Amino acid sequence: MATQEEDTTVKEPLDLIRLSLAERIYVKLRGDRELRGQLHAYDQHLNMILGDVEETITTVEIDDETYEEIIKTSKRHVQYLFVRGDGVILVSPPVRQ
Amino acid sequence: MLFYSYFKTLVGQQVTVELKNDLAITGSLHSVDQYLNIKLENTRVVDEGKYPHMMSVKNCFIRGSVVRYVQLPAGGVEVDILHDATRREARGT
Amino acid sequence: MGSTEAEGLPPLPAPGTALVEELDKKQLIILRDGRKLIGILRSFDQFANLVLEDAFERIIVGEMYGDIPLGLYVIRGENVVLLGQVDPTREVPANLTKVTASEIKQAQKAEKTEVMLKGTMLKRMDFLDDVG
Repeated sequence: MATQEEDTTVKEPLDLIRLSLAERIYVKLRGDRELRGQLHAYDQHLNMILGDVEETITTVEIDDETYEEIIKTSKRHVQYLFVRGDGVILVSPPVRQ
Repeated sequence: MLFYSYFKTLVGQQVTVELKNDLAITGSLHSVDQYLNIKLENTRVVDEGKYPHMMSVKNCFIRGSVVRYVQLPAGGVEVDILHDATRREARGT
Repeated sequence: MGSTEAEGLPPLPAPGTALVEELDKKQLIILRDGRKLIGILRSFDQFANLVLEDAFERIIVGEMYGDIPLGLYVIRGENVVLLGQVDPTREVPANLTKVTASEIKQAQKAEKTEVMLKGTMLKRMDFLDDVG
């Protein structure tokens, strides 16, 4: 079954994600978090397993005197990460030439 | 059922569960159910000083809906098997 | 995950039976609003709705802790973050001193005000640095 030729037609949104299996994708999450990693598994809830993951967390503080926005980002690396689908805002497949 | 089946293969292994309230707990995976509720044994809170309440807790049940991430053990991920299982699941839905 | 593996596994447990082993034991519950309740788990269902008997809220501020008695509670599952068995031999962290319910509430209020003040103070000091 696994050797069956991959169906490359896109009929519904999740087909695009199927075609991104084993590729590096970008995932935007609630709470100003972003992930970049290799997609190893997903399901219809957009639960996912990513590999070689870089997480970026963005925090914005507003100075209440000057009203200046102070944007800070922190990054960390995780080898393998299960991501719960209910936090996912969007998934961006790799750019294809 | 893909992730339920997958997590069952990890029973007994060390994982770190990160919750949506930023609490992160490391422990040995005791069980998982269809909602991806997780039970951990021999737990250790990553930022212990911030969560003194947890010092008397050694085993816990985490409601699946409050999980943000689970950090998986490197040895518990066989990518080829996951890819195949994901394609099978995608065909089924 | 493979079909051969699935056949070798024991039959599925009935949905939502994960807490059976926790019944009639003292549990710490963390709620989504950050409160921590302690009580004896008497019942639950597949949503993780819980019945807690002799429940109290435990507040810890610095080196102090206090308990606020609540009685019998039915907790709606979606507000449950975590449930952990309390080790009876170490229910109270060793280095903490017990105070009354009103004292701990006051301490918690003071702590919240302090955190807020610190936030605004720091920002003011940053501003002064810029001017200086």
